[in-house]
Amino acid sequence: MEWQIWTYHATLHWTTKEGVLSEKSYCYFDTTLLISVIPAYAGDQYDYKSAEFKEVASQFMCMCGCGQDHFECNMQGCGLNDSFKVEIKEMMDDGLTKDEIKDYYIGMYGEEILTAPEKKGFSLTAWILPFAVLGIAGVGIIFVIRKWVASNKEEVSLFDERTEEEQLEDEIVKSMIDEERKKYF
Amino acid sequence: MHLIGNISIYLALALSIYAFVIFILGIYKQDQRYVDSGKAASLAVFILASISMLVLFTALGTSQFQFEYVASYTSSDLPILYKLAALWAGNAGSLLLWTFFLTMYTAMVVYSRKMKNNPMTPYIAAIMLANTIFFYLILGFVAKPFILLDVVPMEGRGLNPMLQDPGMLLHPVTLYLGYVGLAVPFAFAIAALIIKSVDAFWLRMTRRWTIIAWVFLTLGNVIGGYWAYMELGWGGYWAWDPVENASFMPWLTVTAYLHSVMIQERKNMLKIWNISLIILSYALTLFGTFLVRSGVLTSVHAFGDSNLGAYFLIFMALAVIFSLYVLMSRYHLLKKDSGQFESLLSKESSFLINNLILVGGTFAVFWGTIFPLVSEAVRGTKVTVGIPFFNTVMSPILLALIFVMAVCPLIAWQRSTVKNLRDNFLIPAIISLVIIGLLAGLGMRAAYPIIAYGIISFMILTHIVEFYRGVKARRKVTKEAYPIALYWLMVKNRRRYGGYIVHFGIALMAIGIVGSNFDVETMKTVQKGEKIEIADYVLTYEYLAQRTEGINDIVFANIHVSKNGKDMGYVQPERIFYGSWEEPSTEVAVLGNLSEDLYVVLSAWERDERATFVVKVNPLVKWVWIGSFVLVIGSVFAVWNGKFGHITPRYTGPQRKVS
Repeated sequence: MEWQIWTYHATLHWTTKEGVLSEKSYCYFDTTLLISVIPAYAGDQYDYKSAEFKEVASQFMCMCGCGQDHFECNMQGCGLNDSFKVEIKEMMDDGLTKDEIKDYYIGMYGEEILTAPEKKGFSLTAWILPFAVLGIAGVGIIFVIRKWVASNKEEVSLFDERTEEEQLEDEIVKSMIDEERKKYF
Repeated sequence: MHLIGNISIYLALALSIYAFVIFILGIYKQDQRYVDSGKAASLAVFILASISMLVLFTALGTSQFQFEYVASYTSSDLPILYKLAALWAGNAGSLLLWTFFLTMYTAMVVYSRKMKNNPMTPYIAAIMLANTIFFYLILGFVAKPFILLDVVPMEGRGLNPMLQDPGMLLHPVTLYLGYVGLAVPFAFAIAALIIKSVDAFWLRMTRRWTIIAWVFLTLGNVIGGYWAYMELGWGGYWAWDPVENASFMPWLTVTAYLHSVMIQERKNMLKIWNISLIILSYALTLFGTFLVRSGVLTSVHAFGDSNLGAYFLIFMALAVIFSLYVLMSRYHLLKKDSGQFESLLSKESSFLINNLILVGGTFAVFWGTIFPLVSEAVRGTKVTVGIPFFNTVMSPILLALIFVMAVCPLIAWQRSTVKNLRDNFLIPAIISLVIIGLLAGLGMRAAYPIIAYGIISFMILTHIVEFYRGVKARRKVTKEAYPIALYWLMVKNRRRYGGYIVHFGIALMAIGIVGSNFDVETMKTVQKGEKIEIADYVLTYEYLAQRTEGINDIVFANIHVSKNGKDMGYVQPERIFYGSWEEPSTEVAVLGNLSEDLYVVLSAWERDERATFVVKVNPLVKWVWIGSFVLVIGSVFAVWNGKFGHITPRYTGPQRKVS
């Protein structure tokens, strides 16, 4: 793979001198072609846009500060994404599973490399807590409303006599009439 | 010129302190002359803030590189609009903009005709000025916008190319107007507590302020999303970045507040909750500023050279502690004269559920945002919390929210019955089920989007039913024609029907958000004349060329597009190489209609003009932008005064010596 990279470096340099691109464009290609061109040519078994590759690459966060995963990152000047993609693809071609590749990178970089916390250990709290809080608050709200309703039982029983009417309709009509009365009559 | 700039800042700081003190003295001594002096000082602070802005705009616009700020963020070749927009590209300038808005809002409140004879005025002004003092302390001693360089450079460093986008002209300004706008209802709430005026009057006074701040927050987020979509070249508009989250959280809490205030106005309940929500919203704006300025979390938005976080953290802590102290000291008052709930099945309950979901969603976003810090503190291990986490956690929460939005308008106040529910929801429910069936029949297999579209259609239908019932009820009384009845129905109930239009906007945005998850993408290297096929599109790469604009070189590819054999024209994705910036930027080419965007990025090219393109088809993205327009229209309609507006009441309560 490495010889391919250097070949592309050389051809780019030549391209620039020919004038298809300006001199200042050169720096860009010398550094960023690695990001975008190489993956399109590397290997045979897995395509870089295949669902299988996406599934594996998208679980790893690019550390270039783009805020995206290694499948999506196309940040200018990112020097990490290309080598990551090449490495992931090589591992996939060698038959490593998604989890094995994940374990490999966690071992190397820690959990920080993942786009989302793991669903085990302390990190599980990240997933559970929002729903736990919502659930507890939901139960609390139902409890509070029931308490308020219970303390207002008498008024409710009076109100019950009118509940068979179409209250929504009534409410709109009443507001219309009140409004008309205020404005015109 | 730097003297004028510096004097305007230090004088404004001194006058802010003076105004703050004189307002307090005016309240303490109950002397209107003191208060009037404070009002004049507030106006003077606003004028000085305007002068500071003008000085910095002039320095930026005329490339005066002796100013460190100008040299850091502009270059002489930069188009004038971006030279001026560089005012909010850096820490000091953006804080100056923030301060300018704060002083502007303070002057507007203090001199508002609606505030005449309102005893809350000096309290509100003092609270706003306390904020102003903090920002002027930062501008005067930490992030100074008018520092001069010892050696004047021949040329400035230029503006980051990513910021050279129309989004730069609008996104920060709208977001700041929203952020700073929340200081107004916060000040009203605290003032109401201090003077023990805890009825719903302060809510009515602040309704327009709050909605305007909310609209600007919405616009800020949407424009930011559009900017990211067009500029970053990744085909998305929302990445759950910590700073994006920071602006989303107050949006959620203010949305909750805008709904729960209706219960206080109608039932005199939830007073503590409403004040807590507005305190929380304001604290979240400071938290967002802390995130941007501290660099504690990795973000594409953060100001890289900032050490301001600690100051904002301390200020936020002080503001929250003070607010909670005032809130607790008035707890007994807030608990008095509270109304009652008649039934679990009522509009009041649905508002509470709506609040639960919105605040729960806020907590989920907050928790995900700070979890890397929590994990590091607890385990010593950093973790990353990115898009997969937020999508997984927030999707059910936001779907539940849309469902509540669907149900809430048609449930009666006080008490609803099974008959009500059947009458109101049967037809929308049946049609929504038919839509779900149709989507499944058309080949949609993923459960989440099918459920989402079912709920969204249910929401739209219930709102249509609400409009229909309103028109029908009005016609019973007035015998007007349908369009006339609809017009008067809406105009005379601006708040309610403006709110429903906002709901329609949210529904349209939700259609776009769900649809955009069905994007397809390919990346391919092609030779001239070679085709790329994606979805129903065939893209024929014709040639690569270069042109010059000013000192920038632009490399672009010309691509012919056809869809199902029909000629769609040409797209020209670009890479721009800047004369004053090392890295080039992407200019994506988008060929779009209401159903989908064809999104083309020029990724790289080679000597023989082979080029690599990333091509995406993003369905329904336009609906996100259309929905946001509808949302803004609804909000403006809701707060428009007009003949029947009655948006902001005048103060008619007991007179006091100072106001």
